[in-house]
Amino acid sequence: MAAMFSQNPLMNGPNYSFNQGPSTASAGNKEHSFYPYTDNGGSTLAISGSDFTIIAGDTRSTSGYNINTRYSPKVFKIGGTTASQDDATLVLSVVGFAADGEALKERLDAIVKMYRYQHGKPMSVKACAQRLSTILYGKRFFPYYVTAILGGLDEEGKGAVYSYDPVGSYEREQCRAAGAAASLIMPFLDNQVNYKNQYIPDSGVGHELKERERIPLGRNEVEDLVKDAFDSAVERHIEVGDGLQMLIITKNGIEEIYKPLKKD
Amino acid sequence: MYAAHLDLAARKDFTLICASKAAMRGATILKASDDKTRALNQHTLMAFSGEAGDTIQFAEYIQANAQLYSMRNGIDLSPSAVANFVRGELASSLRSRKPYNVNLLLGGVDPITDKPSLYWLDYLASLAPLPYAAHGYAQYYCLSILDKHHHPDIDYEQGIKLLHLCTDELKRRLPIDFKGMMVKVITKDGIRTVDYDDEARIPCP
Amino acid sequence: MDTLVAQYSQSDYDREQYSQDEQMELYQPEPSLSLRFAMPPIAQPSAWLRAATDDNANPNCPIKIAHGTTTLAFRFQGGIIVATDSRATAGNWIASQTVKKVIEINSCLLGTMAGGAADCQYWLAYLGMQCRLHELRHKRRISVAAASKILANLVYSYKGMGLSMGTMCAGVTPSEGPALYYIDSDGTRLAGNLFCVGSGQTFAYGVLDAEYKYDLSETEALELGRRSILAATHRDAYSGGFINLYHVKEDGWVKHGFNDTNPIFWETKLNKGEFSNVTSELV
Repeated sequence: MAAMFSQNPLMNGPNYSFNQGPSTASAGNKEHSFYPYTDNGGSTLAISGSDFTIIAGDTRSTSGYNINTRYSPKVFKIGGTTASQDDATLVLSVVGFAADGEALKERLDAIVKMYRYQHGKPMSVKACAQRLSTILYGKRFFPYYVTAILGGLDEEGKGAVYSYDPVGSYEREQCRAAGAAASLIMPFLDNQVNYKNQYIPDSGVGHELKERERIPLGRNEVEDLVKDAFDSAVERHIEVGDGLQMLIITKNGIEEIYKPLKKD
Repeated sequence: MYAAHLDLAARKDFTLICASKAAMRGATILKASDDKTRALNQHTLMAFSGEAGDTIQFAEYIQANAQLYSMRNGIDLSPSAVANFVRGELASSLRSRKPYNVNLLLGGVDPITDKPSLYWLDYLASLAPLPYAAHGYAQYYCLSILDKHHHPDIDYEQGIKLLHLCTDELKRRLPIDFKGMMVKVITKDGIRTVDYDDEARIPCP
Repeated sequence: MDTLVAQYSQSDYDREQYSQDEQMELYQPEPSLSLRFAMPPIAQPSAWLRAATDDNANPNCPIKIAHGTTTLAFRFQGGIIVATDSRATAGNWIASQTVKKVIEINSCLLGTMAGGAADCQYWLAYLGMQCRLHELRHKRRISVAAASKILANLVYSYKGMGLSMGTMCAGVTPSEGPALYYIDSDGTRLAGNLFCVGSGQTFAYGVLDAEYKYDLSETEALELGRRSILAATHRDAYSGGFINLYHVKEDGWVKHGFNDTNPIFWETKLNKGEFSNVTSELV
């Protein structure tokens, strides 16, 4: 929650890059005039299923109170043979500082493409996930200000989602929300995807109570979940809205769906 | 880190070095049997305190160089030579981008003249040969005791007794438990760990 | 002086295009675990980094790095027990409840993770690589002492740059038997029988020290490890999630589960009557 409020421009003033130092005068920290970051808001979300992965992001890009554009994708296909990325098998979502996100995407894409040319096969998600981690860590002392999520299908054809922190610690997960509205969406996902804190009624008393059994969600169900999550986030977060871009990775390729979100 | 660590040299034929056994990080004692000394050669021992990490890195760097000298030349550096070498290294480190933050006590017995010696070095690369010395808070308690009781020709038993006077005072007055002392003696025959009994509880009057 | 050097040692248009290094990276991908890191183009990278990423020094820092939390390991008659919680926090936000804080370096060596999650993951992976290279070069497994020293020297070389890690290396080798080392980002490296690391360390020490004996049986040791982490997750808000338990034996480590703390807590409370501070009444 603290992170959410600290990004509130009402409290901090609009965030412009370069001329704004970290606002920490009270803590007596040294202020630095070199500040190459800004936060472009927005949120991303990824859920993996038994034979698919959905990665979604809203398409609003903000600077403080201002909306820069209502269509700026945060979710990208990675490592296809051509610029159109028609035959890509991996998807990267980045949220945070859009310029760093763009740079990271370009870099990963180039590396995955080179891998394909050198090895004559596409990169597996597992390998790409490890590589992305080292790319992020390579800038440990000058980080990419982004939260990345990587999605694809693993060697068994199951959906795979890998989530990252800005300097490259990563973990494979069932689902993950990132960005401005992460704190709004993630608890919803815990409950609706992993059935956290759901118990079977009348199955026992105290710790005899049985947890609701987890079943793999179907694709349509997950799509609805994603739409609901974003609709809710748009209601309560100023940096989220305008459009919802969803990439669905299946063994037949990557399908893209765009749905409008509220534009106020 | 204020490792209570002190030692004394006698003019006679030995040098005693002692250092606390606690390795602390924040409010936690991580280890109660830490050895804050390194033998540089047969007759020279260095005790260290200061910034975590720096201490051991610097001590082992000096140890390696002192041993390299012994191997190349077939003879150990004398304690005074080692002390001046260490001072030189500390002085150049002090003027580098990232200085070592280490305080040292260097005790030895010259293998040729059999004269015991003790050198006090701080992180600013001050070097002083002294009959007795201490670093950290230990200084404030122990130096007066040593001023009163030390004289150049005390024997080994008297030395240990004197050390007990010092460590007992530290146990009595220091607000933290430093988990006892590791005591080593350097004589012309080499370096030996002393079986130092400091289990007794010392109440504060 | 640093400022002057920075000012005159780099031309303004150096960074206009992809640097030569970046170009080369594409043609000749170097081993991805390399020691070449991008640096901000300023005189004092470490102070800048602290302002941008250290949420302890600067609560409003823009980049919140995930931090890990309670870990413990102890030696006993039957080997080494390693136990951790699984919570990662970024400020007050619980970034994850399912972090694997025990890092499997190889089949006989384990590392634990406290402090910066990325720092621990990356450098322990790097250590794994160095251990494998040692095996190939010397035709025998590396000792835990040597492995831990590689890590200690490595982090020491980055001292003051803002790495944050408190890790333990546990392993069994024929030459040393079961060995346990504590290494932190200050460059400290200590051998010992028992360590707890992280914000919940004091709570874990409390339970562990009271019942620790070297002669513990295997089941007693596992239970003690589990109970100590449970104590820490109960009292330390930055610890929680699941209890990750490992046992390192002569012929490698064995995993003893990744279990949710919640049922373990209630079982401990209801069956043993512990945690009497937890009541059903609001008072």
